[in-house]
Amino acid sequence: MKKLFALMLAVMMMLSCVAVTNAEAAKTSLNVCIASEPDTLDPALNSAVDGATLIIHLFSGLSKWAKDENGALNIVPDLATDLPAAVINEDGTATYTYTLVDGVKWSDGKDLTAKDFEFAWKRAASTALGADYGYMFEVVKGYPDNLAVEATDDKTLVVTLNNDVSYWNELLSFPTFLPIREDVVANEAWATDPASYVSNGAYTMTGWEHNSVITLTKNPNYFKADEITVDEINFFLSDDANNMLANYQNGDWVMIDDVPTAEIANLKVQYPTEFFVGSQMGTYYVSWNVNANILPEGCELTGDDAEKARAEIRFALGLLFDRNYIVTEIGQAGQQPASSFVALGLTDADGAKQFYEVAGPSDEYAGYWNVSEDAYEANWDAAIETLKKYYTYDEASGKFTNFPTIEYLYNTNDGHKLIGEYLQSVFAGIGITMNLTNQEWNTFLNTRKAGDYTVARNGWLADYNDPISFLDMWVSNSGNNDSQFGKGANAEAKIYSIDLTPYGVDVKVENGTWAETYDAAIAAIKSCGDKEARYGMMHAAEDLLMSTGAITPLYYYTDIYMISENVQGFFANPLGYKYFMYCTTK
Amino acid sequence: MSSKMLYYILKRILLAILTIWIVITVTFFVMHAVPGGPFVGEKAISKEAQAALEAKYGLDKPLFEQYTTYLRDIVTKFDFGPSLKQRGRQVIDIIMDGMKTSAKLGLIAACLAAVTGIVLGAVAAIRRNTLLDKIIMVITTAFVSMPSFIMGSFLLIIFSVSLKWLPANGAMQGGLVLPVITLMLYPMSYITRLTRSSMLDVLGQDYIRTARAKGVSRWSIIFGHALKNSLIPVITYFGPMLAFIVTGSMVVEQIFAVPGIGRQFVSSITNRDYTMIMGTTIFLASLIVIMNLVSDLLYKVVDPRIEFE
Repeated sequence: MKKLFALMLAVMMMLSCVAVTNAEAAKTSLNVCIASEPDTLDPALNSAVDGATLIIHLFSGLSKWAKDENGALNIVPDLATDLPAAVINEDGTATYTYTLVDGVKWSDGKDLTAKDFEFAWKRAASTALGADYGYMFEVVKGYPDNLAVEATDDKTLVVTLNNDVSYWNELLSFPTFLPIREDVVANEAWATDPASYVSNGAYTMTGWEHNSVITLTKNPNYFKADEITVDEINFFLSDDANNMLANYQNGDWVMIDDVPTAEIANLKVQYPTEFFVGSQMGTYYVSWNVNANILPEGCELTGDDAEKARAEIRFALGLLFDRNYIVTEIGQAGQQPASSFVALGLTDADGAKQFYEVAGPSDEYAGYWNVSEDAYEANWDAAIETLKKYYTYDEASGKFTNFPTIEYLYNTNDGHKLIGEYLQSVFAGIGITMNLTNQEWNTFLNTRKAGDYTVARNGWLADYNDPISFLDMWVSNSGNNDSQFGKGANAEAKIYSIDLTPYGVDVKVENGTWAETYDAAIAAIKSCGDKEARYGMMHAAEDLLMSTGAITPLYYYTDIYMISENVQGFFANPLGYKYFMYCTTK
Repeated sequence: MSSKMLYYILKRILLAILTIWIVITVTFFVMHAVPGGPFVGEKAISKEAQAALEAKYGLDKPLFEQYTTYLRDIVTKFDFGPSLKQRGRQVIDIIMDGMKTSAKLGLIAACLAAVTGIVLGAVAAIRRNTLLDKIIMVITTAFVSMPSFIMGSFLLIIFSVSLKWLPANGAMQGGLVLPVITLMLYPMSYITRLTRSSMLDVLGQDYIRTARAKGVSRWSIIFGHALKNSLIPVITYFGPMLAFIVTGSMVVEQIFAVPGIGRQFVSSITNRDYTMIMGTTIFLASLIVIMNLVSDLLYKVVDPRIEFE
């Protein structure tokens, strides 16, 4: 017995030694969890926010997001000595010339040169690579396969854009624009294994147990290594919100980027100083197929008149939803009721006001309708009046009797289902039968893109702080044009009007097609170098978009996360990337 | 080994190959018939880029040609191709990565379940109708009827969140303890009940009475005669159970965020990662076929009366 006791004691002592060494080594190490295994950590191929968070810790580009002394987030030069304005050429193109700072090395010790940028950009934009975000280079002359970017020497990078782009400096901080070395990516599997993963940023990848954990260790070769306060970050890979929360609550992890929806209300009370609702530039909305019929049987309207009527009907139907109810009772994550397509978080021309605050017809409220709780009844009444013009209304029951049965399509997910059921119940209240159909994610995307639906759940997240990232997806030939504007029968509909002459652009169309109006406006915006005029045109484009009623925004997305109060110096940028490198722990 | 047995094994192997070929063929064509594709995303890439990717992975070829190429690569080179979604990684590497964890988890759980299950079952049978028997039966009934997601969540909340004794995540040190317990409880209870009832059956047989009458000692009856013969139903159960546990219980992997093969299988389908779907399907199908074969062969070892046909 004594022997056994002694043995146990010895084992316990050994274990406690292990524990102590662990604790010492863990002093400047953070255990966090932002998502499950990333699809890729190749900066050019990545299109996910969690992948981007890892990549910005591993790489450094010409510019980056940084907090100033007032706590405000700005784009500042990183590997570029500064971010100069463009030189406007005679043909209207804009040339930027960047000089790299001295002494920048790759994690394997080789020197980083401007050539690495040239190679990386050409690769990322190329058709052959097929990167999701390759299109971000479309502002560059020669996109996709003859990109006008050149390293004139080891230190100098010259790039020519089709015209001056106001958000160019922000693009430079985006993962797709990070440098990559040609000999490194020659190995196609380079970004899947720490041994072949060569980066140039604050951290190097020292471990990757697939589907389990990625370990980043401070890079002593990083040119601003003294600013980095965390020696090691373990990014645990999990997509189960319940599991994340368990690890957070037992103290193993100090930051988690998701929590179970059902727990949100409790957690807000339980962890008032550790539960955060961050902004995210995105909109949850319902998209209507402009070519699907919703007019009553026997309706005499045809052609352009029919589509005009449908636009009015769709807009009215959109007013029936109580967005405050949706965010407080269903979403429960601090989402903001939406009244415009371009989301909260995107700023207007002056950089101070929000784009959505300035949008819409009225000065009394932001956006295209008043989303305040008080205005809900008035919105409802206005909608019913509009619908009465087209459908038979039975005053006794308060229901429309000849609205055709429609189908709401959503991807299989409890949250989307709850919202679908709410929309369904609102419609049922006025006699409209809407059946719910759910499809598995990939099938759903396919159906929606093909326009094989009447009304569907939809959502969009901006890739950079410029409203064009919300607006150019609706041009006729866009792959994201789920509402089918300018496609099928809608291609012929001459019912759209736009006037860009106040902005110095020679586009004024009354009753034109989608291509003549919206597509023309987006083209004008993309080739416009004047900020004021550009934002004016973007508002005009959104006005046209919203007048179709085919986009019914419900709320602006938020980003929920929890971080221990022992961790200081953490921040997230407007795109949802999380920055751990400047953290300190108590 | 008799020639009859060799013939039997050969026949079963050929049947297994046929089964797997059918699985491959059906999966391949059904998978391609489902709408969507590996390069479809919320943010659409250009048609040209999509075409370039399809050409790169040979998805632009006629379906039947893709099928024959795929079969040829597997048979001649054992090449399952690259993952279409996790770019730069080979399907075989991803499967092996997942299998390492799943196999470790599954084997430990299965062995623990078998050992404890047989012991508890035997004890319950020998001490039939005592308090001990009743306790064992009540507990195992509870475990058999409790789904693993409830059991897992329950253990997680008690031992990880409240007591903070064990980590909640499979990747942490000691992180496999809770998943192993969750995984083993059901088969353990099942085996306990199987062993108990079949042991009671055997203990009532004439030859046991004869042995007892001969004066053979109690323990030698239990271990030498009764236990061995009462294991036949356990073995029937053990083979498929092992395959099932080793190939990953999706639910347990999800609850404890264990990087096993089960999660890969599910996500490959949602991603339309064609090569991954094929790879995991072939792998799991082969494993189950092999396990069934092994458990059939084990019958013979335990009960020489069984004849192979």
